[in-house]
This record gives sequence, C-alpha cells and structure tokens, in this order.
Amino acid sequence: MSTIQDAFHRLVAGNQSYKAKTFSEAPNFLPQLATGQSPEVLWIGCADSRVPETTICQCKPGDIFVHRNIANILSADDISAGSVIQYGVGAVKVQRIVVCGHTSCGGANAALGDADLGETLNTWLHPMRELRRKHQKELDALESTAAKANRLAEINVRNSLEVLQTLPVVGNAMRERGLTLHGVIYDIGEGELKVLEETSKSGNNSLWSQGR
Amino acid sequence: MTEQEKERVNEHLKATHDRIFESNRAWASKCLDKDPEFFAKLNSGQQPDYLYIGCSDSRIPANEIMGLEAGEVFMHRNIANLVNSIDLNIMSVINYAVRHLRVKHIVVCGHYNCGGVKAAMTPADLGLLNPWLRNIRDVYRLHEQELDGITDDAKRYDRLAELNVLEQARNVVKTAAVQKSYKDDGYPIVHAWIFDFKDGLLKDLKLDFEGTLKSIQKIYNLTGGD
Ligand SMILES: [Zn+2]
Ligand SMILES: [Zn+2]
Repeated sequence: MSTIQDAFHRLVAGNQSYKAKTFSEAPNFLPQLATGQSPEVLWIGCADSRVPETTICQCKPGDIFVHRNIANILSADDISAGSVIQYGVGAVKVQRIVVCGHTSCGGANAALGDADLGETLNTWLHPMRELRRKHQKELDALESTAAKANRLAEINVRNSLEVLQTLPVVGNAMRERGLTLHGVIYDIGEGELKVLEETSKSGNNSLWSQGR
Repeated sequence: MTEQEKERVNEHLKATHDRIFESNRAWASKCLDKDPEFFAKLNSGQQPDYLYIGCSDSRIPANEIMGLEAGEVFMHRNIANLVNSIDLNIMSVINYAVRHLRVKHIVVCGHYNCGGVKAAMTPADLGLLNPWLRNIRDVYRLHEQELDGITDDAKRYDRLAELNVLEQARNVVKTAAVQKSYKDDGYPIVHAWIFDFKDGLLKDLKLDFEGTLKSIQKIYNLTGGD
C-alpha cells in the first residue's frame, strides 16, 4: 500500500507548493477570485489526463469554465453537459465555447468498433458509434487505425458544434450577444491545438478577445 | 494584392492571432525544453493515478492547484461536482477510470462560494438545472437540522458545500466499479476535499473510506455476481 499512500501525499504537497507560489507571486490573486468568476471560455473536452485545458493553454484560474467527459461527447439529452452549458452560457455568460477533441483518444478508438465495454460505456459511446456508421465509407478509406480514430474525433467535434447550436440558450446568446463556437483538436504527440471549425455571428473569430 | 499589402495583412493576422494558440505553443516549447521526449511519451498512452471529480467553476483548475502535469489526472467536471447514479456521463467516467485505467485514488473536490450550491437553494424555477441541482437540496434535507442552525447565510452555504462533497464521495463508493475493484485489488481509495480561495489550500474532509464502504454495503452492496 506504500505506493498508494505516496500518490496521495504528492497531491497534498503539490497543493502546498501551489499555495506558496501563488501567494508569493500575487498575494491578492486568490482572495480576489473568491469574490466571483467571469471566465471568457467554456471548454468542453475529453476526460483524458493528457489534455488539461488550463495547463495546455497556459491560462490562469478564473479563465476557463470546464466540462470534461469520455471523448467529449455532446448529446442534447445529456443533463450533465446540458446543465454546464445552461449555467455557463445563461448565468456565467461566457463569450466562447470551445469543443476540444484530441488525437489518440481512447473513446474515439473504442467507437471505431462495437466491442462490448459493458452497458455503461456502450451506452455512452453509442452516439459516437452512430457517427462512425454514418461516416463509415470515409473512415474505411483511411489506412491506419490511428488515422481513423483521429478523423472520428474530428467528426465528433463538428457534430458537437451542431448539437450546441440546437440548444436555445446557445442560439440566443449567439444572436443576442455574439457568443462564438470553436471546434479544435489537440495533438497529443505535438502538444499543439489546431483549429477545426469556428462559428461566429459577429464576425469576430478570435478565440480570446484582443489585448487580454 | 501586392507583396507589400500581403505582408501587412500577414502582420495584422499575426498580431491578432488567437492568444490561446500562442500560449499553447509557448507551453509546448517549454515542456520540450525540459524533456524532449515529453509529448512522445504522452503519445504512447495515459496511466494516471488519479481520477478527479470537481466543479466546472473556472477558478479551480485541478492540475494547477494539485501541482500535477499533463498525463497525471483523469478529469471530470460538472456543475457543483455531483455524482448521480443515473447520470451516464459521470458513470462512464468512473467506470473507465477504475476498470480500464485502474486509478489508485478518486478525489471528489468541491469549493466554498460555489455558485451551483447557492443556485440550488434559490427558490426559483431554473429549468434544466432544476433536476440537476435537486441533488443538493436532497443533501440539505439529510442535514436539515444542522444547516438550519447556522444563521449566517455564507457560512450555511459553505457547510452545505462540505456536506455535498461528502455525500457525492459516498455516491462514488456506492458504484459497482469502485466496490468490486477495491475488493479485488485494494484500490481505488475515495477522498472528499474542498478548495478554499482564502488560503489556496485543499482541505481534506477526512472521509473514512473503509468505514463508509462498510456502512453503505449494508444496503448498496454490488460486489456479488460474476
Ligand atoms: Zn479522449
Ligand atoms: Zn462550484
């Protein structure tokens, strides 16, 4: 059990050094955060440990409102993601929604086939497996499994942008206050984010507002 | 377009280029300076020790506050860090993290000043958020006497945030994945934490994991069968 204990103590030590560093760099930063949040971005990404949104974008606490699930799947009937979007767009009033898929995604890989992963994961992956069936011909034309999974991850992100636009809270915010939607893919082997698709009613396609 | 014009357009594009992508590239090159194999290693797969379940709130980026790098913690974040047995979203995350990634620890982390907790206790029709936040009202009902005894509003919400984390951690313990894996392998261990902006520290609410497991198994035991 010693390694289990070690893993736990690492978190405690990590948090203490975070505290020390944050307070020495900017003593008022955390107390100020306590008064409220006004993040610019809502991030919908994969739960994968290799894609920590705030780290890979070098952002600060307070910058990104976050929902992460298996393979960043968005369905109109998912109440968890639905609540995040309702609250993030309707109450917190983010200006952009970023849907981020990634290369070497275990979920996308599993969705390429129909292997039985147990009822829970089978049901969760169902929409992505449906997308795969819909785009079967295009995927079959690709050679490697990795390329197929990466392509399916892209298709899934595009689909999520479509699902988002069907939600009234999102549609209204796009029309009324220029909320924009952005589909991106994070390349794990390169450490790099790549733009896939951006939707904008206001003409401002920049992910972050300028001079921020 | 003349060459000169083209250059001007390019310059403009560069100047207004999305900050997020610039920061991302800066981060990537910093990682490579430290370890040229950093991304190549990540590309070969993930073996995180931890699953973290936290609030969507932008002020609590989990990797940063725990000092963990990319690849170290599997992550789920939703409104008010709720764990509901009929929410397929989080059940898939727990299932995958425990059965496939075989994480050693599951941390459920809440925070003080949680907007979700406050919204849950607001006497208003919040549409889709009603059924989601109902879970928090149920936590209140479980601890009604204690919470009613706290006269200061902010303090009452903060105590509710703590009780909510403990209840959600208990819900994690109730899952078949956790019960079975613990029986077979002796992990994962489930923890209940809360983040405090005032001092930047994570407070361990000291969930007694084995005691909780024993007590829930009187009714919620799912370790039988196959
Ligand atoms: Zn993934
Ligand atoms: Zn919160």
